[in-house]
Amino acid sequence: MRYLLISSALLFLSCGSYPKRIRLSESARLKSEISNPYFSETTLDYVYKADITFYGRHFSGLFIVKKMAENHHRLVFTTEMGNTLFDFSFNGRDFIVNSINEKLDKKMVIALLRNDFLIMISEHPPKMKTFTLGNQNIFESEIDHRTLYYFYSEVQLKKIVRTKGRKEKVVFNFSEIVDGNAKIIQILHKNIQLIIQLKAI
Amino acid sequence: MVSAQTKMSAGEANDLETKVKNLAATTKTIVSDFKQYKHMDFLSNDIESMGKLSFKAPDLVKWEYVKPYAYSVLFKDETLYINNEGEKSNVDIGDNKLFKQLNRLITDSVKGDMFDAKEFAISYFKKGPDSEVHFAPRDTDFSKYIKEFQLIFNEKGEVREVKMVEPSNDYTQIVFLDRKTNLALSDAVFTN
Repeated sequence: MRYLLISSALLFLSCGSYPKRIRLSESARLKSEISNPYFSETTLDYVYKADITFYGRHFSGLFIVKKMAENHHRLVFTTEMGNTLFDFSFNGRDFIVNSINEKLDKKMVIALLRNDFLIMISEHPPKMKTFTLGNQNIFESEIDHRTLYYFYSEVQLKKIVRTKGRKEKVVFNFSEIVDGNAKIIQILHKNIQLIIQLKAI
Repeated sequence: MVSAQTKMSAGEANDLETKVKNLAATTKTIVSDFKQYKHMDFLSNDIESMGKLSFKAPDLVKWEYVKPYAYSVLFKDETLYINNEGEKSNVDIGDNKLFKQLNRLITDSVKGDMFDAKEFAISYFKKGPDSEVHFAPRDTDFSKYIKEFQLIFNEKGEVREVKMVEPSNDYTQIVFLDRKTNLALSDAVFTN
Protein backbone atom coordinates (compact mmCIF):
# COMPACT_ATOMS: atom_id res chain seq x y z
CA MET A 1 0.00 0.00 0.00
CA ARG A 2 2.81 2.35 0.92
CA TYR A 3 4.55 1.62 -2.39
CA LEU A 4 1.34 2.29 -4.23
CA LEU A 5 1.03 5.68 -2.53
CA ILE A 6 4.64 6.59 -3.33
CA SER A 7 4.21 5.47 -6.94
CA SER A 8 0.99 7.45 -7.25
CA ALA A 9 2.68 10.52 -5.78
CA LEU A 10 5.60 10.18 -8.24
CA LEU A 11 3.18 9.71 -11.12
CA PHE A 12 1.31 12.83 -10.04
CA LEU A 13 4.53 14.85 -9.79
CA SER A 14 5.77 13.75 -13.20
CA CYS A 15 2.50 14.45 -15.00
CA GLY A 16 2.11 18.16 -14.22
CA SER A 17 2.55 20.71 -16.97
CA TYR A 18 5.54 22.93 -17.59
CA PRO A 19 3.64 26.13 -16.64
CA LYS A 20 2.65 24.55 -13.32
CA ARG A 21 6.17 23.39 -12.63
CA ILE A 22 7.63 26.88 -13.05
CA ARG A 23 4.57 28.45 -11.35
CA LEU A 24 3.18 30.48 -14.23
CA SER A 25 -0.20 32.11 -13.67
CA GLU A 26 -2.60 31.77 -16.57
CA SER A 27 -3.89 35.10 -17.77
CA ALA A 28 -6.76 35.89 -20.12
CA ARG A 29 -5.92 39.57 -20.31
CA LEU A 30 -3.01 39.49 -22.79
CA LYS A 31 -4.26 40.42 -26.22
CA SER A 32 -1.02 40.76 -28.17
CA GLU A 33 0.13 38.14 -30.66
CA ILE A 34 3.43 36.25 -30.58
CA SER A 35 6.13 37.98 -32.56
CA ASN A 36 9.74 36.90 -32.96
CA PRO A 37 11.39 39.91 -34.65
CA TYR A 38 14.99 38.72 -34.75
CA PHE A 39 15.21 37.52 -38.36
CA SER A 40 12.35 39.50 -39.83
CA GLU A 41 14.05 42.15 -42.01
CA THR A 42 14.67 41.29 -45.66
CA THR A 43 17.06 44.24 -46.01
CA LEU A 44 19.47 42.98 -43.34
CA ASP A 45 22.20 40.33 -43.51
CA TYR A 46 22.25 38.66 -40.11
CA VAL A 47 25.88 37.60 -39.59
CA TYR A 48 27.08 35.86 -36.43
CA LYS A 49 30.30 34.32 -35.18
CA ALA A 50 29.10 30.85 -34.24
CA ASP A 51 30.41 28.28 -31.80
CA ILE A 52 28.74 24.89 -31.82
CA THR A 53 29.61 22.22 -29.26
CA PHE A 54 28.20 18.76 -29.88
CA TYR A 55 29.21 16.01 -27.44
CA GLY A 56 32.62 17.57 -26.81
CA ARG A 57 33.30 18.28 -30.49
CA HIS A 58 33.67 21.91 -31.32
CA PHE A 59 32.83 23.70 -34.57
CA SER A 60 33.27 27.39 -35.07
CA GLY A 61 32.61 29.65 -37.98
CA LEU A 62 30.24 32.22 -39.40
CA PHE A 63 26.50 31.75 -39.26
CA ILE A 64 24.49 33.79 -41.71
CA VAL A 65 20.72 34.20 -41.86
CA LYS A 66 18.92 36.06 -44.62
CA LYS A 67 15.20 36.57 -44.89
CA MET A 68 14.66 36.23 -48.62
CA ALA A 69 10.91 36.90 -48.60
CA GLU A 70 7.90 36.25 -46.39
CA ASN A 71 8.25 32.75 -44.92
CA HIS A 72 11.50 32.20 -46.78
CA HIS A 73 14.87 32.17 -45.00
CA ARG A 74 18.34 31.02 -46.02
CA LEU A 75 20.78 29.86 -43.32
CA VAL A 76 24.46 29.22 -44.01
CA PHE A 77 27.29 28.09 -41.74
CA THR A 78 30.83 28.54 -43.06
CA THR A 79 34.30 28.17 -41.57
CA GLU A 80 36.12 31.40 -40.71
CA MET A 81 38.08 30.91 -43.95
CA GLY A 82 34.86 30.81 -45.90
CA ASN A 83 34.20 27.16 -46.73
CA THR A 84 30.53 26.27 -46.50
CA LEU A 85 29.67 23.64 -43.88
CA PHE A 86 25.92 23.73 -44.40
CA ASP A 87 23.46 25.77 -46.41
CA PHE A 88 19.74 25.38 -45.64
CA SER A 89 16.55 27.05 -46.86
CA PHE A 90 13.16 27.24 -45.18
CA ASN A 91 10.60 28.15 -47.82
CA GLY A 92 6.98 27.97 -46.71
CA ARG A 93 6.60 24.47 -45.33
CA ASP A 94 9.63 23.15 -47.21
CA PHE A 95 13.05 22.59 -45.69
CA ILE A 96 15.81 22.32 -48.29
CA VAL A 97 19.42 21.22 -47.76
CA ASN A 98 21.21 23.23 -50.45
CA SER A 99 24.57 21.76 -49.44
CA ILE A 100 26.21 20.11 -46.45
CA ASN A 101 29.76 19.01 -45.65
CA GLU A 102 29.90 15.21 -45.68
CA LYS A 103 31.11 15.10 -42.05
CA LEU A 104 27.84 16.74 -40.97
CA ASP A 105 25.64 14.95 -43.47
CA LYS A 106 23.82 12.75 -40.98
CA LYS A 107 20.06 12.51 -40.70
CA MET A 108 20.05 13.08 -36.94
CA VAL A 109 22.31 16.15 -37.15
CA ILE A 110 20.25 17.69 -39.95
CA ALA A 111 16.99 17.03 -38.07
CA LEU A 112 18.35 18.62 -34.88
CA LEU A 113 19.53 21.71 -36.72
CA ARG A 114 16.33 21.96 -38.74
CA ASN A 115 14.16 21.79 -35.61
CA ASP A 116 16.19 24.43 -33.77
CA PHE A 117 16.45 26.82 -36.68
CA LEU A 118 12.77 26.54 -37.59
CA ILE A 119 11.90 27.75 -34.08
CA MET A 120 14.59 30.43 -34.19
CA ILE A 121 13.31 32.05 -37.41
CA SER A 122 9.52 31.55 -37.07
CA GLU A 123 8.08 35.02 -36.78
CA HIS A 124 4.42 34.56 -35.89
CA PRO A 125 3.69 31.18 -34.34
CA PRO A 126 0.11 30.68 -33.12
CA LYS A 127 -0.84 31.75 -29.60
CA MET A 128 -2.50 29.00 -27.54
CA LYS A 129 -2.43 30.29 -23.96
CA THR A 130 -1.07 33.25 -22.07
CA PHE A 131 0.62 33.43 -18.67
CA THR A 132 2.43 35.87 -16.45
CA LEU A 133 5.40 35.47 -14.13
CA GLY A 134 6.47 38.59 -12.24
CA ASN A 135 6.89 41.24 -14.94
CA GLN A 136 7.19 38.68 -17.73
CA ASN A 137 4.47 37.77 -20.21
CA ILE A 138 4.61 34.22 -21.45
CA PHE A 139 2.83 32.79 -24.48
CA GLU A 140 2.32 29.12 -25.17
CA SER A 141 2.63 28.11 -28.80
CA GLU A 142 3.25 25.15 -31.03
CA ILE A 143 5.50 24.59 -34.04
CA ASP A 144 5.65 21.17 -35.69
CA HIS A 145 3.63 19.65 -32.81
CA ARG A 146 6.25 20.82 -30.32
CA THR A 147 5.10 22.92 -27.39
CA LEU A 148 6.90 26.22 -26.95
CA TYR A 149 6.84 29.03 -24.42
CA TYR A 150 7.80 32.55 -25.45
CA PHE A 151 9.05 34.75 -22.59
CA TYR A 152 8.73 38.52 -23.00
CA SER A 153 10.12 41.08 -20.64
CA GLU A 154 9.45 44.76 -21.32
CA VAL A 155 7.98 43.77 -24.71
CA GLN A 156 11.27 42.16 -25.77
CA LEU A 157 11.42 38.47 -26.56
CA LYS A 158 14.08 37.16 -24.18
CA LYS A 159 13.63 33.42 -24.26
CA ILE A 160 11.88 30.57 -26.06
CA VAL A 161 11.60 27.23 -24.31
CA ARG A 162 10.71 24.01 -26.12
CA THR A 163 9.19 21.56 -23.70
CA LYS A 164 7.98 18.00 -23.47
CA GLY A 165 5.55 17.48 -20.63
CA ARG A 166 7.02 19.25 -17.61
CA LYS A 167 10.54 19.30 -18.92
CA GLU A 168 12.58 21.87 -20.81
CA LYS A 169 14.12 20.30 -23.91
CA VAL A 170 15.70 23.30 -25.62
CA VAL A 171 16.15 26.87 -24.42
CA PHE A 172 16.74 29.77 -26.82
CA ASN A 173 18.14 32.84 -25.05
CA PHE A 174 18.20 36.23 -26.78
CA SER A 175 20.31 38.95 -25.20
CA GLU A 176 22.07 42.26 -25.88
CA ILE A 177 19.09 43.42 -27.90
CA VAL A 178 19.97 46.55 -29.88
CA ASP A 179 17.55 48.20 -32.36
CA GLY A 180 15.40 45.09 -32.30
CA ASN A 181 18.32 42.77 -33.10
CA ALA A 182 19.60 40.09 -30.72
CA LYS A 183 23.39 40.42 -30.63
CA ILE A 184 23.77 37.23 -28.62
CA ILE A 185 21.72 34.07 -29.17
CA GLN A 186 22.26 30.86 -27.27
CA ILE A 187 20.53 27.59 -28.10
CA LEU A 188 20.96 25.18 -25.22
CA HIS A 189 19.77 21.57 -25.37
CA LYS A 190 18.88 20.02 -22.04
CA ASN A 191 18.68 16.34 -22.96
CA ILE A 192 21.59 16.12 -25.39
CA GLN A 193 25.00 17.77 -25.36
CA LEU A 194 24.44 20.43 -27.98
CA ILE A 195 25.05 24.15 -27.47
CA ILE A 196 24.90 26.72 -30.26
CA GLN A 197 26.25 30.18 -29.40
CA LEU A 198 25.84 33.05 -31.83
CA LYS A 199 27.46 36.45 -31.46
CA ALA A 200 26.60 39.17 -33.99
CA ILE A 201 29.56 40.65 -35.87
CA MET B 1 38.69 50.80 -63.72
CA VAL B 2 38.17 47.10 -64.41
CA SER B 3 40.80 45.70 -66.76
CA ALA B 4 39.66 43.39 -69.51
CA GLN B 5 40.76 39.79 -69.14
CA THR B 6 42.35 38.03 -72.11
CA LYS B 7 43.76 34.53 -72.46
CA MET B 8 47.52 34.12 -72.36
CA SER B 9 49.48 32.46 -75.12
CA ALA B 10 51.34 29.24 -74.21
CA GLY B 11 54.61 31.19 -74.23
CA GLU B 12 53.25 33.86 -71.86
CA ALA B 13 51.86 31.18 -69.54
CA ASN B 14 55.26 29.46 -69.48
CA ASP B 15 57.03 32.72 -68.68
CA LEU B 16 54.64 33.44 -65.81
CA GLU B 17 55.04 29.96 -64.39
CA THR B 18 58.84 30.24 -64.47
CA LYS B 19 58.74 33.69 -62.86
CA VAL B 20 56.41 32.54 -60.04
CA LYS B 21 58.32 29.31 -59.40
CA ASN B 22 61.67 31.16 -59.24
CA LEU B 23 60.23 33.70 -56.83
CA ALA B 24 58.60 31.00 -54.67
CA ALA B 25 61.92 29.13 -54.48
CA THR B 26 63.67 32.19 -53.06
CA THR B 27 60.83 33.16 -50.70
CA LYS B 28 61.75 32.12 -47.18
CA THR B 29 59.19 34.16 -45.28
CA ILE B 30 56.11 36.23 -46.02
CA VAL B 31 54.31 38.57 -43.67
CA SER B 32 51.23 40.29 -44.98
CA ASP B 33 48.02 41.89 -43.84
CA PHE B 34 44.94 40.63 -45.61
CA LYS B 35 41.36 41.57 -46.14
CA GLN B 36 38.86 38.79 -46.70
CA TYR B 37 35.55 39.13 -48.51
CA LYS B 38 33.05 36.30 -48.22
CA HIS B 39 30.67 36.68 -51.11
CA MET B 40 27.34 34.93 -51.21
CA ASP B 41 24.97 35.93 -53.96
CA PHE B 42 21.94 36.12 -51.69
CA LEU B 43 23.53 38.59 -49.26
CA SER B 44 23.23 42.37 -49.62
CA ASN B 45 26.90 42.84 -48.66
CA ASP B 46 30.05 40.74 -48.63
CA ILE B 47 31.18 39.72 -45.14
CA GLU B 48 34.51 41.42 -44.46
CA SER B 49 37.22 40.35 -42.08
CA MET B 50 40.83 41.41 -41.66
CA GLY B 51 43.96 39.76 -40.39
CA LYS B 52 47.60 38.90 -40.79
CA LEU B 53 49.29 36.06 -42.61
CA SER B 54 52.70 34.68 -41.67
CA PHE B 55 54.52 32.10 -43.79
CA LYS B 56 57.88 30.45 -43.26
CA ALA B 57 59.34 27.97 -45.74
CA PRO B 58 58.81 25.17 -46.25
CA ASP B 59 55.35 24.80 -44.77
CA LEU B 60 54.56 26.90 -41.69
CA VAL B 61 51.44 29.02 -42.22
CA LYS B 62 49.49 31.05 -39.73
CA TRP B 63 46.30 32.91 -40.57
CA GLU B 64 45.34 35.33 -37.85
CA TYR B 65 42.01 37.14 -38.05
CA VAL B 66 41.90 40.24 -35.89
CA LYS B 67 38.67 41.89 -36.99
CA PRO B 68 35.73 41.54 -36.41
CA TYR B 69 36.75 38.51 -34.32
CA ALA B 70 40.00 37.07 -32.97
CA TYR B 71 40.65 33.69 -34.54
CA SER B 72 43.88 32.11 -35.69
CA VAL B 73 44.68 28.90 -37.45
CA LEU B 74 48.17 27.48 -37.65
CA PHE B 75 49.20 24.59 -39.92
CA LYS B 76 52.15 22.76 -38.39
CA ASP B 77 53.33 19.14 -38.22
CA GLU B 78 50.16 17.62 -39.72
CA THR B 79 48.11 19.43 -37.10
CA LEU B 80 45.76 22.34 -37.30
CA TYR B 81 46.11 24.55 -34.20
CA ILE B 82 43.13 26.80 -33.60
CA ASN B 83 42.86 29.73 -31.24
CA ASN B 84 39.23 30.82 -31.18
CA GLU B 85 39.00 34.01 -29.13
CA GLY B 86 41.42 32.57 -26.57
CA GLU B 87 40.04 29.05 -26.64
CA LYS B 88 42.69 26.70 -28.01
CA SER B 89 42.15 23.39 -29.77
CA ASN B 90 43.90 21.20 -32.33
CA VAL B 91 42.80 18.95 -35.11
CA ASP B 92 45.01 16.07 -36.21
CA ILE B 93 44.91 16.20 -39.98
CA GLY B 94 47.26 13.25 -40.47
CA ASP B 95 44.49 10.95 -41.67
CA ASN B 96 42.35 13.57 -43.31
CA LYS B 97 43.09 13.69 -47.01
CA LEU B 98 40.92 16.73 -47.68
CA PHE B 99 42.47 18.77 -44.90
CA LYS B 100 45.95 17.77 -45.99
CA GLN B 101 45.17 18.85 -49.51
CA LEU B 102 43.62 22.10 -48.39
CA ASN B 103 46.60 22.81 -46.16
CA ARG B 104 49.02 22.23 -49.02
CA LEU B 105 46.94 24.29 -51.42
CA ILE B 106 46.78 27.17 -48.98
CA THR B 107 50.55 27.03 -48.48
CA ASP B 108 51.12 26.77 -52.23
CA SER B 109 48.66 29.53 -53.03
CA VAL B 110 50.40 31.91 -50.64
CA LYS B 111 53.63 31.31 -52.54
CA GLY B 112 51.75 31.12 -55.81
CA ASP B 113 53.33 27.83 -56.79
CA MET B 114 50.31 25.69 -57.62
CA PHE B 115 51.26 24.83 -61.19
CA ASP B 116 50.60 21.12 -61.08
CA ALA B 117 48.76 20.08 -64.20
CA LYS B 118 48.11 16.59 -62.81
CA GLU B 119 46.13 18.05 -59.91
CA PHE B 120 44.53 21.02 -61.62
CA ALA B 121 43.08 22.08 -64.92
CA ILE B 122 44.94 25.39 -65.26
CA SER B 123 43.91 28.41 -67.33
CA TYR B 124 45.93 31.61 -67.73
CA PHE B 125 44.71 35.15 -68.27
CA LYS B 126 46.19 38.62 -68.61
CA LYS B 127 44.53 41.39 -66.67
CA GLY B 128 46.23 44.74 -67.30
CA PRO B 129 49.72 44.49 -65.78
CA ASP B 130 48.60 41.52 -63.61
CA SER B 131 48.18 37.85 -64.42
CA GLU B 132 45.26 35.72 -63.32
CA VAL B 133 45.47 31.94 -63.14
CA HIS B 134 42.58 29.57 -62.46
CA PHE B 135 43.23 26.19 -60.87
CA ALA B 136 40.31 23.75 -61.00
CA PRO B 137 40.95 20.63 -58.86
CA ARG B 138 40.80 17.36 -60.78
CA ASP B 139 40.19 15.32 -57.60
CA THR B 140 36.43 14.69 -57.48
CA ASP B 141 36.33 14.61 -53.65
CA PHE B 142 37.99 17.98 -53.53
CA SER B 143 36.01 19.56 -56.34
CA LYS B 144 32.83 18.96 -54.32
CA TYR B 145 34.02 21.77 -52.04
CA ILE B 146 36.22 23.96 -54.21
CA LYS B 147 35.36 24.54 -57.83
CA GLU B 148 38.39 26.71 -58.51
CA PHE B 149 41.25 28.63 -56.93
CA GLN B 150 41.89 31.91 -58.72
CA LEU B 151 45.20 33.61 -58.07
CA ILE B 152 46.13 37.10 -59.21
CA PHE B 153 49.85 37.80 -59.55
CA ASN B 154 51.47 41.21 -59.79
CA GLU B 155 54.23 41.98 -62.28
CA LYS B 156 56.87 40.60 -59.90
CA GLY B 157 55.03 37.27 -59.70
CA GLU B 158 53.77 37.79 -56.14
CA VAL B 159 50.28 36.67 -55.20
CA ARG B 160 48.08 39.73 -54.78
CA GLU B 161 44.75 37.97 -54.37
CA VAL B 162 43.42 34.47 -53.79
CA LYS B 163 39.85 33.59 -54.58
CA MET B 164 38.38 30.25 -53.54
CA VAL B 165 35.27 29.63 -55.62
CA GLU B 166 32.76 27.08 -54.34
CA PRO B 167 30.62 24.91 -56.62
CA SER B 168 27.71 27.33 -56.03
CA ASN B 169 29.92 30.16 -57.43
CA ASP B 170 29.93 31.87 -54.03
CA TYR B 171 33.51 32.68 -53.15
CA THR B 172 36.00 33.83 -50.55
CA GLN B 173 38.38 36.50 -51.80
CA ILE B 174 41.57 37.27 -49.90
CA VAL B 175 43.44 40.44 -50.85
CA PHE B 176 46.99 40.78 -49.52
CA LEU B 177 48.09 44.23 -48.37
CA ASP B 178 51.49 45.49 -47.32
CA ARG B 179 53.21 42.21 -48.17
CA LYS B 180 56.81 41.82 -46.96
CA THR B 181 59.01 38.93 -48.01
CA ASN B 182 62.14 37.43 -46.52
CA LEU B 183 62.06 39.32 -43.25
CA ALA B 184 63.53 37.41 -40.32
CA LEU B 185 60.59 35.56 -38.76
CA SER B 186 61.01 33.75 -35.46
CA ASP B 187 59.52 30.30 -34.94
CA ALA B 188 57.75 31.79 -31.93
CA VAL B 189 55.31 33.41 -34.39
CA PHE B 190 54.13 29.91 -35.25
CA THR B 191 52.78 28.97 -31.87
CA ASN B 192 49.15 28.84 -30.99
